[in-house]
Amino acid sequence: MPRDLALGLSTLALSIGYYAMTLGIPDSQLADAIGPQGLPRAYAFVLAALSAILIGRSLRSNVRLHSDPAIWRVVGMLGIGVVYVFAVEWLGYFLSIAGLIVATTYYQGGVVSRHVLIVALVGAVICWLLFVRVMGVPQPPGWWPALL
Amino acid sequence: MIDALVSIFTTPLGVSAFAGVAWGIMGGALPGISPSITMALLLPFTYGMDPMLAIVLLASTYVGAEFGGSIPAILIRTPGTNAAAATVIDGYAMKMQGKAGEALGISLYSGFVGGMFGLIVLVLLTRPLARLALAFTPPSYFAVGVLGLSVIASVSGDSLVKGLMAGVLGLMISTVGTDPVTGLSRFTFGSPELLSGIPPILVMVGLFAIGELLVQSGEPGWEKTDSTSTRIRFPSPAMWRRLAKPQAIGSVMGTIEGIIPGGGGTISAFLAYNEARRWSSRKEEFGKGSPEGIAAPEAANNTVACTALVPILSLGIPSSNSSAVLLSGFLMHGLVPGPLLLAKNPEFVNGLFAGLFAANVAMVVLGYLIMTPCLWLVNRPKPYLMAFIYAFVVSGVYSIETSIFHVGLVLMFGVLGYAMRYFKLPFLPMVLGVILGFMVESNYRRSLSLSDGDHMTFVQDPIARVLLALAALVVAGSLVRHLRERRTHQSSSAAPA
Repeated sequence: MPRDLALGLSTLALSIGYYAMTLGIPDSQLADAIGPQGLPRAYAFVLAALSAILIGRSLRSNVRLHSDPAIWRVVGMLGIGVVYVFAVEWLGYFLSIAGLIVATTYYQGGVVSRHVLIVALVGAVICWLLFVRVMGVPQPPGWWPALL
Repeated sequence: MIDALVSIFTTPLGVSAFAGVAWGIMGGALPGISPSITMALLLPFTYGMDPMLAIVLLASTYVGAEFGGSIPAILIRTPGTNAAAATVIDGYAMKMQGKAGEALGISLYSGFVGGMFGLIVLVLLTRPLARLALAFTPPSYFAVGVLGLSVIASVSGDSLVKGLMAGVLGLMISTVGTDPVTGLSRFTFGSPELLSGIPPILVMVGLFAIGELLVQSGEPGWEKTDSTSTRIRFPSPAMWRRLAKPQAIGSVMGTIEGIIPGGGGTISAFLAYNEARRWSSRKEEFGKGSPEGIAAPEAANNTVACTALVPILSLGIPSSNSSAVLLSGFLMHGLVPGPLLLAKNPEFVNGLFAGLFAANVAMVVLGYLIMTPCLWLVNRPKPYLMAFIYAFVVSGVYSIETSIFHVGLVLMFGVLGYAMRYFKLPFLPMVLGVILGFMVESNYRRSLSLSDGDHMTFVQDPIARVLLALAALVVAGSLVRHLRERRTHQSSSAAPA
């Protein structure tokens, strides 16, 4: 499939979905002539029109959608971030950020060695000092400090 | 203004400028990390800071990154920033002749000259433009927003359709949250975190920082530099005289491209390089290690680092990715750039000017002093660098509103940034849509409410009339350029090989 065709179809679907959501915005007695749905609907129409133009053009295009061999590395990298988001409240900031550093280093071609673990611990201490102590940000402590 | 200059020494303003430049040089020296990404990485850290120190820190980062980009350009033939691509040509040639230190010195000195010239232009132009903007009404503000959005036509790159799509997507993002007139919630999916909309900073950090991190995760590691034999050597007085002309050319190009929306450091650097070669009496040396070939682009991109602030401070319109990140820094601290900022907060604007002066001085000092630690950092294994950047980004984003939801949102915008790179959708139109969307919608509807729904109000308001005409001119000019480029492309592809 041409790459621009894939993009055009995706944005067309997005514009339809977005338009459908504008139908759910209730009317208000405070509304002006345009209303809270007015511009969003206009944006949906413009995006749909642009998508249609891109789809039309893409049919003559030679640039094909190709599977990027790096895509799994990207997915994995993103996965580390997603795991962090879910783990940080439970594990706490210090352990989670150390885990994120270890996981990213390993995933990017490093090996899990004593050196990596030391770097991750040092990194976690730096982050904790910077964000929690210096900037005073209440990062999630996790469940385990209560046991200490 | 004098008080502001004194404050460099009596307040942490100078420290902020030095810190920003140091961070900028290091970020700019990392291949693939552009000034906008360097600034976006820093943005969450500034949340708890004094607004003036935060903005000076960000603006100084921009100044430092423009010089930092020339370090790998000269040493490993890999521009640290897009704007340093023109410096590669003669910078690396000089390095191969054993003149790496001299090339770095020329880059630093020319960057300083360009930066100071840009600062003077910034001080001279901002106030007159802002004074005019004091007379703005809702239709005028709407017209300013439209003028800002009209830039999309000129920053769309190869495909105008894709640029417009990115712009509309940005406008769509700006509609998330509470409606500016009725107070109804829109596109919030029942989430209280989305009621106040999606802060532009999250979009920036996601698109630029996380998006680049995802791209870099699939790329091979970058080349290492020789960190033992590189010491900056400043040009001799004879060389100063020789560099004066290309620096002047670079400064003029940087001024024009910095002020014009959609210009930016990269275009100005290449234009300056070409013009310097055209006006040089030693044309034959260009491409073979000409000092003038480094001076012109480096003066140009450092001039842009200052002049790009003119449209932000006077009208609140960003002209490039980096200035858009800077603008979101303003917004994050509750500062709305534009005429009211200059009228209500002149000491802030003077402080910013003083901070930029300090940043240009800091660039010379730090450029000389931190070369060794900078090269040490660039030579760290890429997996460690990426791990630390990831850790700092997620920690910094959480710090903004202590919201893990925001961290998830940033990761989502990172995926969007990766997809946009893959589909070759330009970033700046989306950023413009996100930043200007609320301004356009609220002032459009406010204007119509005040005029009982009469659209003629946009033509009757003299400032709005002029700004809308300017917007139409920008769009028309961009369309003509696109058509010309398309015709040239078609005729060159139709020509027999």
